[in-house]
Amino acid sequence: MDKNDIYREEILEYYRHPQNYGVMKHPTFEAEAINPLCGDKIRLQLKVNKKGIVEQVRFSGSGCALSIASSSMFTEWMVGKSVRKLRTVGPAEIQKLMRAKIGPARLPCMLLSHVALQKMFPGDERND
Amino acid sequence: MNIKTLRARFPIFQKRGAKPLAYFDNAATTQKPLAVLDAMDEFYRTKNAPVHRGVYALAEAATAEYESVRDHVKDFINAKHREEIIFTSGTTASINIVVSGLAEAFLRRGDHVLVSLMEHHAMIVPWQAAALRKKFRIDFTPLTAEGRIDINTYKKLLLKHKPKFVGVTHVSNVLGTENPVREMVFLAHKAGAQVLVDAAQSIAHMPVDVQALGCDFLAFSGHKMYGPTGIGVLYGKKELLEKLPPRTFGGHMIEQVTRTKTTYAPLPEKFEGGTPPVAEVIGLGAAILFLQKTGLKNIQKGENRLAAYALRALKGVSGLPLFGPFSAKARAPIFSFTIAGVHPHDIATLLDREGIAVRAGHHCAQILHESLSLDASVRASLCFYNTVQEIDRLVNALSAVQKKIYG
Repeated sequence: MDKNDIYREEILEYYRHPQNYGVMKHPTFEAEAINPLCGDKIRLQLKVNKKGIVEQVRFSGSGCALSIASSSMFTEWMVGKSVRKLRTVGPAEIQKLMRAKIGPARLPCMLLSHVALQKMFPGDERND
Repeated sequence: MNIKTLRARFPIFQKRGAKPLAYFDNAATTQKPLAVLDAMDEFYRTKNAPVHRGVYALAEAATAEYESVRDHVKDFINAKHREEIIFTSGTTASINIVVSGLAEAFLRRGDHVLVSLMEHHAMIVPWQAAALRKKFRIDFTPLTAEGRIDINTYKKLLLKHKPKFVGVTHVSNVLGTENPVREMVFLAHKAGAQVLVDAAQSIAHMPVDVQALGCDFLAFSGHKMYGPTGIGVLYGKKELLEKLPPRTFGGHMIEQVTRTKTTYAPLPEKFEGGTPPVAEVIGLGAAILFLQKTGLKNIQKGENRLAAYALRALKGVSGLPLFGPFSAKARAPIFSFTIAGVHPHDIATLLDREGIAVRAGHHCAQILHESLSLDASVRASLCFYNTVQEIDRLVNALSAVQKKIYG
């Protein structure tokens, strides 16, 4: 199978057993994003320490394999990063993590957690 | 009706390959027969001119052809008068003209309108937007467990709220349910309400007769009936359209313009401001001719057979809840379903890999999905050119989806 296949085993494994899935109490930051195509909703929560470093991330909601797997990978990536970094990270980071060829119709599914991040820190200058 | 010969008239199905196109998104848009493509092409090549304006022969011929389609549509849906046929850009535009016009002219604070829970957003959002301005109430007729209009509650809501207007879809774009529009119109009129019918999903599948239905307004799109995009029809009873204010202001829709005041043209021009999509109207005419030559009764018979086959086959897939009426009767060949544990978007992408085109999402019916406790579903919408072999491919691919995702 194509190693860049969006339904390769690695991605499906993340879908079956998502990382950082759940809801935390008292998050430092919180935001929600909706995929208007299917009504899928994702809730993203961060716990940030005094130094501005992300200590814990949780995401919750319903979604397809792409949105769940990419949120899972992206939230893993966030842990240990500075809030400053999260304010500038662009959607390309998710594509890099997913290593997947994806058409425009399904791209919003893959980028849903990034949309939540943008809503969390609106108005920031991001890399593309 | 020979499917093979009919199918051969659609150029898109000529492409051969290991995974030929199985097109199950006909409720969104149908494919186009050569007759439609040729009519539009020929118009642009040999007859193109502005309509209603030029006094030269070319423009007069274009106008005559454009206006002859109005007569054709009138006969097709059995309207009483040709000026009851308004060309619009599609069902959504048609509904917007009616709803915003009715709201402006007739709806006041405290009034009610009644729609059903299975309406497309095109029959919900225009009412909601108008209600914000005019402060009227929108009530929803609930559905039965089988996905049909709950007619007893409909009767009660008519009596309780005395709505001024009722909006209902002829056929649900998600459930495939054919609604008892004739009965609903009769009941609405008795209660003093006028009725707007969304015929987008019925017009290509069954004979639609506005006088038999008795409806006051009816809307449909060309591109869901084998015609081009960008053209649709609004039918309205003449005396009602005459009272409805115009919605698009500009050229062609006027009688006289002075510095202080404009008087409007009579029907149908009043609602057709601006240069109309002439080639699309010609294409719509060719699509209607195609439907008439094939015979809507024949189409309906063939599609009923396909629907019965698809219903049986889909029921055989384990873990697949199917929404809408249980029997193939009083039902268009539209099937929406989910598969336990697999998101509709994943299902659609995996089916696409087998050359099978279906729709995933809420199909512009979020309120209906919410009432089914769903975010989204997969929709396979068939029409006469689909085959039982294609349905078999769909069912086999669906059976493989769960295995793919869960290993």
